[in-house]
Amino acid sequence: MKEKIKIPHSGRKSLYGYGFISLWLVGTVIFFLIPLVKSLIYSFSEVSIDSGKTVTEWVGFEKYIKVLTEDEKYTEYLTDMLVETLWKTPLIIIFSMFIAVVLNQNFRGRTLARAVFFLPVIIVTGSVYKVISNDINTSVVGDAEKFSTVFSTNLIGEFLEFIGVYGISDKVNTLISAVADNIFGIVWNSGIQITLFLAALQGIPVSVREAATLDGATAWEYFWKITVPYIKPFILANVIFTVIDTFTNPLNTVMERIGTMRNQWAFGEASAMAWIYFIIIMVIIGIISSFSRRDFNE
Amino acid sequence: MNKLPKKIWVFFRTVILTGISFIIMYPVIYMVSCAFRESTDMNDPSVMWLPKHFTLDVMKDTIKAMDFGNTLKNTLFLNVGCAVVQVISCAVTGYGFARFDFRGKRFLSAIVIMMILVPPQVISLPLYTQFMNFGIGSFRINLIDNMLTMYLPAITANGLKAGLMILIFRQFFSGLPRELEDAAYIDGCSPLRTFTAVILPNALPAVLTVFLFSVVIYWNDCYTSTVFFRNTKTLTLVLENLDSQLKKNLFGSADVQISPREQIVWKEAGCLLSITPLLVMYVCLQKHFTEGIERSGLVM
Repeated sequence: MKEKIKIPHSGRKSLYGYGFISLWLVGTVIFFLIPLVKSLIYSFSEVSIDSGKTVTEWVGFEKYIKVLTEDEKYTEYLTDMLVETLWKTPLIIIFSMFIAVVLNQNFRGRTLARAVFFLPVIIVTGSVYKVISNDINTSVVGDAEKFSTVFSTNLIGEFLEFIGVYGISDKVNTLISAVADNIFGIVWNSGIQITLFLAALQGIPVSVREAATLDGATAWEYFWKITVPYIKPFILANVIFTVIDTFTNPLNTVMERIGTMRNQWAFGEASAMAWIYFIIIMVIIGIISSFSRRDFNE
Repeated sequence: MNKLPKKIWVFFRTVILTGISFIIMYPVIYMVSCAFRESTDMNDPSVMWLPKHFTLDVMKDTIKAMDFGNTLKNTLFLNVGCAVVQVISCAVTGYGFARFDFRGKRFLSAIVIMMILVPPQVISLPLYTQFMNFGIGSFRINLIDNMLTMYLPAITANGLKAGLMILIFRQFFSGLPRELEDAAYIDGCSPLRTFTAVILPNALPAVLTVFLFSVVIYWNDCYTSTVFFRNTKTLTLVLENLDSQLKKNLFGSADVQISPREQIVWKEAGCLLSITPLLVMYVCLQKHFTEGIERSGLVM
């Protein structure tokens, strides 16, 4: 009792703080930090299971070198993954920003439209998505989509040649067909991003909007001078979210490769793969946030 | 504003929204359309949306192959149960981070961020060996295939995507006015009681949003469940193996060759069955969800 009186108010408040997070703290040590350290140790070791216990033997960087030089599939999947993230992320960001701006306007049926656009969020994470995208590729409409792709590719290519631009049309063709082939994936992976951008747009004060209208700003000016500055922090949040989301999606090929290795009880190799992957994510996120910090300081 | 450009824009907007809505709704419409037709209709080029031979047999076969009643019960008990527990634990943790100052807060917040960044695949291996041999000292039990492998992390706010949920709650609670709590403290409420009686009711939109998010993540989880379970069946796991189970039921053996086109009807029926509960929940909570996430001031 005596001790309780001695603790000043701020000290008591900090005790309450520990109280609120204590459950998480215990859990995070057992279910996050210990496994994290263990997996780092595994990645430097030869791991074997002996009567239910794991036995590790230190081998240094051997597993990392083995994974990077001998496992062709892993490096191939890894580069594919990086390239895909590189071009898909900007597309998802631009698309979701555009849709958010449109959904933020007043029109009839807006609620319905919003409900539809958030729908992918509830389906996209699961194996349902895998089945859906497979089935659509094998069904008739897959061909119809291919047809329309060819159509639009030629159209733009011919247009470019018509205005006298030769040579790039091949590159443009590949780019456009890549986009058209992936429109399903892009639309379906933009749910959360649209939500975030919408939240940002709702944060623009009414007074700012009114002032801009009074000064006679066109929609175009409004977008660049008001909307973009307001949602800039959200662009960063969305880029980071998109990168993490594509990288940690259990359906992606690198993840599946790691899973296969684990099922073959090659714990050392699997851990090394996972750590290389994790370090790449960290580097990418680091680069993105350093860019944005420079942006904020300007 | 000029009238003509505005009209053009409205037209343009309607076209785009309808088009993209179609892309989004397409798989759902396709599911419904396929699930109620005979598999021979798949090879009939004149059948696009409306089946020529309407049938309920496909649905019946699939329900039987999935053991739908039991699987649904499992899923509700395991996945939805964990989701609910995790929302509560994450809310408590998020509140602790949002409102109290304590030593090491910066460091602990950094761990929360780490939880978001580390892919589950990095720690799933050690977690597996840990659960195989769980306990302290000489008291050890094997938890693999036990629901505790999902429940324990959920109770301690360390389950699927827990880092993100803690962060959302933290942001939301920091945005609430401090006067709410001050009034409660003056009235002599303890912090815990303040949290349950004053803060949580005010945080309902955020709680609903995270709840929906959490249910979806757990419902669709395949990775973690395949690592920790061998016999427990949830809808997502059953859907993964639906192919071979159906072949066994319909043709007597899992190795029968049948064209992928004709299989589509059963697979789509399986998809329809496993997302229908989610869709129903989404439709019911949709209004709160789309509003809630906008109000929750969700900034990372």
